[in-house]
Amino acid sequence: MIHDFGIVWLHVDLLVSGLANTVILSVSAALSALLIGALVSTVLVRRAHVAGHIVRCLIDVARCTPFLLFAYLIYYGLPSLGVRFDNWGAGMVALIVYHSAYMAEILGAAWLALPRDTIEAGHAFGYSGLRLFRRIVMPPLALNAAPIIGNQIIQIVKDSAFLTIIALPELTNAASAIQSQYFVPFAAFITAMLLYWALCLVVEAGVSVLGRMADARR
Amino acid sequence: MNRMHSPTKMDDSRAVLNIIGLSKSFGSLQVLDNVSFSVAAGETVCLLGPSGSGKSTLLRCINWLERPDRGRVLLNGEQVGVSNAGVVMSDRDLARMRMRIGMVFQHFALWPHLTVLQNVMEAPVHVQRRPKDAVREEAEALLRRVGMYEKRDAFPARLSGGQKQRIGIARALAMKPELLLFDEPTSALDPELVGEVLAVMRDLASEGMTMVVVTHEMNFAREAASRIAFMDRGGIVESAAPDVFFSAPATERARQFLQRYSAAADRSLASS
Amino acid sequence: MSYSDVLSIFSGALTTLLLSLAGIALGLPIGLGMALIRWGRVPAVTRFVAVYVSLLRASPLVTLLLLLFYGLPDLGIEIGPISAGVLALTMNTSAFYCEIWRSALVAFPREQLEAARAVGMRRSMCFRRIVLPQIARTSLPALVNEMSQLIKVTPVLAIVGVVDITRAAVRIGADTYQPLPPFCVALAIYIPIIFALVSVQRWIERRQARLEASA
Repeated sequence: MIHDFGIVWLHVDLLVSGLANTVILSVSAALSALLIGALVSTVLVRRAHVAGHIVRCLIDVARCTPFLLFAYLIYYGLPSLGVRFDNWGAGMVALIVYHSAYMAEILGAAWLALPRDTIEAGHAFGYSGLRLFRRIVMPPLALNAAPIIGNQIIQIVKDSAFLTIIALPELTNAASAIQSQYFVPFAAFITAMLLYWALCLVVEAGVSVLGRMADARR
Repeated sequence: MNRMHSPTKMDDSRAVLNIIGLSKSFGSLQVLDNVSFSVAAGETVCLLGPSGSGKSTLLRCINWLERPDRGRVLLNGEQVGVSNAGVVMSDRDLARMRMRIGMVFQHFALWPHLTVLQNVMEAPVHVQRRPKDAVREEAEALLRRVGMYEKRDAFPARLSGGQKQRIGIARALAMKPELLLFDEPTSALDPELVGEVLAVMRDLASEGMTMVVVTHEMNFAREAASRIAFMDRGGIVESAAPDVFFSAPATERARQFLQRYSAAADRSLASS
Repeated sequence: MSYSDVLSIFSGALTTLLLSLAGIALGLPIGLGMALIRWGRVPAVTRFVAVYVSLLRASPLVTLLLLLFYGLPDLGIEIGPISAGVLALTMNTSAFYCEIWRSALVAFPREQLEAARAVGMRRSMCFRRIVLPQIARTSLPALVNEMSQLIKVTPVLAIVGVVDITRAAVRIGADTYQPLPPFCVALAIYIPIIFALVSVQRWIERRQARLEASA
């Protein structure tokens, strides 16, 4: 077994490149999903509006959809409709679209939970538009929603592993490559799992820093 | 600037605030019914009245936190909320008018993610675009004035209601407003904390700040107000100097209101 | 897509459901056991359980599944696709259940326990009659949520050859050169099932909120 880990270590560059791809994938998807989710949540919170209802339905459907099937649909299914993605494109699109729905839900709920007074004082003091959002709405929103958003980012990292099925060279794929070439399955996949764990701990560390900032202000 | 004909008896050119024919209903409930009044520079007007009389709504229509159905609001001659052409103002134009009106909220409404000092400095720096160093000096002076300088680096969540409200007043003053609005500033406070806030307000009034105050604190109104506007069921029923209003109210509704309040005051005195 | 194709998708769906149920049925009590160990602060084991739960919650199911299916034989333990699938599902979901149970246990009012011990209840009875009924009730929405999460990840079992919905859909798509319809059918089966679970969860939450409000 030690010998197996030695073989894995020999080819650690493969794992590292897989890890790098996972990180790139997850970070870009998370940022895009947050951005799109923020935009969508502004429609979502207009409950009385027709658009709000439609968005609500779409988000509910997205949250009831298995991610893997969604990724399959985009990679294998869309070409029938003339939309062809390569595996990176399909992976990114799947991650971003899927998790934008979750982010919109999270940000919408966080927005509704903000005390109305805080925002009203912003209006009364002459804040409007982007300035109101950036200086008055976003900071307390981000602090309150940090743990849940952190959780969702971890979810994005884990969902990125599914993309091994469409041959995207992320971490799990790299581990599979090593194990199929050098017959060290246990060592390869355990190493991959430990690397995912490390990523998760990094995200949780970031969340706890924000958590301490939030507690000081609570 | 177009000086319009207004039905108020006061000379418009001295009026900081001019309200003309303001009406507002919530659904089928008429909360404000064709209200008009003016506030001159340096006046402290206290809006008194039973709950449901429309006092808070009237106050909140001044800076268009509530949007009136009809009527006009003029700040030093300029319209608030509606442009001269009669079109509803854009958010940015409305924000520009609101910069000039200070507001103190019943539940303090301090920004939780900022320290005390940051709360006071925030709007002058980012909305009025004044230089940070000058604003900091003024902010610290204001905090000293309301007695909150030692807590300038604390977060609002750690402070008492009275402390928060004094900071709220400093925050509003930092904007150098032409008019200060107070929306029941002491109603959410424990009784022993009310005095410290009223003391600050009394000082402001005696220094000549133009203030409109919605309050239930009769003693404050009697001592600090230059005029009492008594509201009932959506209209200003009586407007008089405090000594006149409290000793010899002209209308029956004002009489009933004062009777109820003095009875309540007597009861609380007896039980304390 | 022919009638037999649709049938194979449905039978794949059945496989998926059965495997999910197995995962839930095993994961719930195992998660509870781990939560009790951490709550009871059993020496040595507690640390191990904490690390295990943290690792498993951070691991993607697909990686875990590949580890078990290819890695266990490497260690000399033979395992088939279905067993690997159920084992992976159970390990994964039990870690999440552990955290759900644990937060309910941590929030449980100490005085009730003391009252039970004061009248002479033994630990096991105290747990069975006082603690468990209450934490089961308060944890219910979170537990149901985790069940819907479990069903959402079951498509991954196709990767080791379990003939579930996903594999059926992929096979039909490859056979007919029309991948879109079988995927749509698969989605049309999954989405209502999960939606039903989510609706149940929301109904439970609403009922509990109402009960709490009237109390």
